[in-house]
Amino acid sequence: MSNTESVPGGTLTRVSEDSLLRVTDLSLGYGEGADEKRIIENLSLTVGNGEFVSIVGPSGVGKTTLLKGLSGLLKPKAGQVVVGGGALEGPHRDVAVVFQDYSRSLMPWMTTRENIAFPLQGRGQKKPLRNKAADEALDAVGLGGQGNKYPWEMSGGMQQRVAIARALAYNAKVLLMDEPFASVDAQTRFDLEDLVIDLREKLGVTIMLVTHDVDEAIYLADRVIVIAEKPATVVDVIETGFGTHRDQVATKADPRFQDARGRILTRLRK
Amino acid sequence: MATTTTTPMAFSGRPSVNWTLTFQRVITLVVILLLWQFALMSGLLPKITPGVPDIVTSIFTVVTMGNFWVGFGYTLFAALAGWLLSCAIGVVLGLLIGTVRPLDRSAALIVEFGRAFPTIALMPVMMLVLGATTNMKITMVVLAAVWPVLVQSILGSRRLDPGIVSTATVFQIPKGLWFRKVLLPSALPFIATGVRISASIAILAAVGVEVLTQVPGLGRLITLAQEAERWDNALAYLFFAGIFGWLVASLLGRAEGRLLRWNRQSDD
Repeated sequence: MSNTESVPGGTLTRVSEDSLLRVTDLSLGYGEGADEKRIIENLSLTVGNGEFVSIVGPSGVGKTTLLKGLSGLLKPKAGQVVVGGGALEGPHRDVAVVFQDYSRSLMPWMTTRENIAFPLQGRGQKKPLRNKAADEALDAVGLGGQGNKYPWEMSGGMQQRVAIARALAYNAKVLLMDEPFASVDAQTRFDLEDLVIDLREKLGVTIMLVTHDVDEAIYLADRVIVIAEKPATVVDVIETGFGTHRDQVATKADPRFQDARGRILTRLRK
Repeated sequence: MATTTTTPMAFSGRPSVNWTLTFQRVITLVVILLLWQFALMSGLLPKITPGVPDIVTSIFTVVTMGNFWVGFGYTLFAALAGWLLSCAIGVVLGLLIGTVRPLDRSAALIVEFGRAFPTIALMPVMMLVLGATTNMKITMVVLAAVWPVLVQSILGSRRLDPGIVSTATVFQIPKGLWFRKVLLPSALPFIATGVRISASIAILAAVGVEVLTQVPGLGRLITLAQEAERWDNALAYLFFAGIFGWLVASLLGRAEGRLLRWNRQSDD
């Protein structure tokens, strides 16, 4: 944790007993030896059980690379990711991901129910059981009774709800979201944001969201982690302190929201 | 057997009768038959060529003959068996080659060679090894019909979206399930085209082998009819081979339309 001291007001070392996801001195990159290109360097953070953490950073800083590292799609060059007590060596049963591009993450040849039940099938769950889980997940995201539809019969927002339902049904300990609302229109985006807040309130899921949208990062999270520089590392950490309930109008008008917004934007402009 | 790579064609999911099209097709057929008859009467075609009425009569007489059905059955069996084998081999091999990088590189040359190879030229060898048997016929059909399925399966498997791959990886989909439920359906639009082309080739190859080797079947009947100077019968047999090929192709088109409904929609 070399940069703990440099973080103004940071709570980087908040190591709680129930921290679910712990990233220690993580370095990620591509290539080997002389061709190696570091994207993420010495990044450390923890996410507590039931916490909602946003990671915000400018475009091209390496947010998607970080998410790949956290989901086990990319092996660390150094450091480690610990989920629920064990170091991550690849994709993990306790980590589910909602990808940005729903149209390329849902399988068009499967109905929504089949899409949600598919990872459970991979886990060897019997058909009636996994279908029941899929239908419950569809209910939870407000798409009850739409299990027989195909993704391409739905709007973008609905498809992303299906992707969220799939991650919920997977019943992982941590939900990683990679710019999940970037490909939908503004109104749908607000609806989906509120859906996620609602799901978190009801189900107590632990969520880590990666975004370039500062407002979204603050609005949704308990804690906003700002990453910047090349290679990227944590440059600031902000506790939002809004509790679990939020409101698109009231929360965004809150002085704490404005303060956080100003602080992050200033930090990102450096 | 040179095969072209074709992108999947869209077939209407629900069969709706297009009367204008049907009418146009009937007209085309009638015009061709009239031209045939006219060419014959004006002396453009050799004297031994049978006229349209003779062939039509033959078609009806041939149907009542037991040896036609036996021969037809032999051809059908060999074509069907060879085609099914081609599909199984082509799909499994093609998907493997398309997804396993080293295999792809090492197999590329053989695949290019195989699809351009004149399979018929292998027949003397096959005759020596297997004799004039049904097994030889089926082997020849496979050698001719496997390429379109193989090539299309390779192309289809390369089409797999990286987003889908990431998803399947993150959710820890086991290999076997991944092969059946992710790779195969994703490649299916391409595979379907190969399967359809391969069906026509299978019939062609079966009849061709029969003509050349006198193994029992439609091809042998055609040769026998020619030797007996019953050209009308020979053409009637050809007619049935053609009708059968057309039937198979249209059935496959139907199945494709139903099975791949998602493919047309998602390309919109």
